[in-house]
Amino acid sequence: MSKKEDILSSFSSKFDVKVKTQRDRRLWASIQKKDLLDISAWLKEKGFTHLSSLSVTDWIDDGKYELTYHLWSYTDNVLITLKTKISRKNPVIKSVSSIWGENAQIHEREMHELFGVKFEGNSDLSPLFLEDWSGVPPFKKDFDWREYVKEKFYDRNNERESGYYD
Amino acid sequence: MLKKNSMIEITRGSLDTMTNQIKKSTDNEYDLYFGPAHPGSGNFSVKLRVEGEQIISARADPGYLHRGFEKLMEYRLPIQNAVLSDRICILESLNWNLAHAEAVDELMGIEVPPRAKYIRVLMAELSRIQSHIIWYGVLSIGLGFDTGFKMAFAYRDYILDLFELITGGRVYPAGYICPGGVRKDIPKGAKGRILKVLDKINEMIELEKLENPSLTSRTKGVGVLSIKDAIRLGATGPVLRASGMKTDVRRDDPYEIYDELDFEIPVRKEGDAYARYLIGIEEIKESIKILKQVLSRLPDGDFIDSSFRKPKLSAKMPIGDVYIRNEIARGEAGIYMVSNGGNSPYRCKIRGPSFLHMIPVLEYLLKGAQIADVPAIYWSLNICPADMDR
Repeated sequence: MSKKEDILSSFSSKFDVKVKTQRDRRLWASIQKKDLLDISAWLKEKGFTHLSSLSVTDWIDDGKYELTYHLWSYTDNVLITLKTKISRKNPVIKSVSSIWGENAQIHEREMHELFGVKFEGNSDLSPLFLEDWSGVPPFKKDFDWREYVKEKFYDRNNERESGYYD
Repeated sequence: MLKKNSMIEITRGSLDTMTNQIKKSTDNEYDLYFGPAHPGSGNFSVKLRVEGEQIISARADPGYLHRGFEKLMEYRLPIQNAVLSDRICILESLNWNLAHAEAVDELMGIEVPPRAKYIRVLMAELSRIQSHIIWYGVLSIGLGFDTGFKMAFAYRDYILDLFELITGGRVYPAGYICPGGVRKDIPKGAKGRILKVLDKINEMIELEKLENPSLTSRTKGVGVLSIKDAIRLGATGPVLRASGMKTDVRRDDPYEIYDELDFEIPVRKEGDAYARYLIGIEEIKESIKILKQVLSRLPDGDFIDSSFRKPKLSAKMPIGDVYIRNEIARGEAGIYMVSNGGNSPYRCKIRGPSFLHMIPVLEYLLKGAQIADVPAIYWSLNICPADMDR
């Protein structure tokens, strides 16, 4: 566990970020959007070679997208989660695919499709799961699946389906 | 029936011009689709650019099973999501049940009773064994070794019988591992039956030891993944261990009671399809070891947290977020759950191991391979289109 403390102290002193310990092997850090690449490169150097997951949370009331990067270190057995907020109107962020390779590339491609976040520097952001989809990115909070399904697939005059409109 | 005069006569000369035209237009390259109509590909296809027998490039085409569970979970209560989580991967529903339940437990700060923890691990390991048996089965049939497939599915049925006995469902446990513990206690007599089934599984592994040449000759040296590439491409679980990395979430990031259990992490250095297949067989043996320990130590007590004994429909989740990592049969499962204080999760990101194994890893391994090696590479990765698409 001393190694974890080392990472904690050197990380927070180098980049001026507050690192929160949630429980054993779980660290959380909120960072600025502009520092993302520097911090990512530094963390990878320190052994966080595995990008476990990349996720986007749509905080529609704040008008922000929150990106979370879950990084695992195989040497120290610690997971650190980087969180950064970007504007919801113009969701652009630098790609980390130069640091974590194809692993990051494919995660970013998924998030681009489902949330519409643009990752600058990612070579391939073509559609992944959705075929012939031209509407808004469907995982955004203001996209209501139920309304969409009602309009697109259900018929109000159909006896069996009219119940969905009550 | 075709009439004689309607048949197109192809003369030797016209055939030559036709083939010449095809050659010219494609420059001897063509596209070959592996799946989604392939009998074993699952709901997934990979487009291969082929020159002769050699694959120049591969492009995965996922999305045939995209059900949008992550978004669907935002509309539903945790008790409903537990049932949904079965469907993330059909072949190991209990493992995904566990990952989902752990995320809710941690968000809500529920202390799971010890007996529930043991039952959870028991079910997760049984699920791992049956998933690895399917892996062995589909790899065998992909390589034309029909006996292996039939043997695997026959022995898997013994475990499905156990699932039916304990959870009520053979494939889908309908949220048996739910927030707070497990839905019901294991019935009397289940312990003896589990031990009997484990003997059966041992029997299968003994049979498998015959090392059929049709399996070994087509997997040795095929689809070699170096450890450096494996990490860069995001490989986890058995695929990463077959490339020489000694890592296992159960050991490195223990959850439930895994830190109290004694088991080995099988590792191989070769990184080829054969190594991955051997890792699968070794892991079945380790899971049997874990199950025997769990059964001998199974404590008495409650199987579910008392506040969850009656299903609560409006249990507000405190504001916060958690990231859960679990070792499932296919690799690392992750669930990132965010709550804004409502009844349902605000966001639930599911990280399936096959998402990386089926897109970057598969594309990388297929590049430069022969068409005949596609099945060996494809099924040796132990993939599941369901947890990729979610």
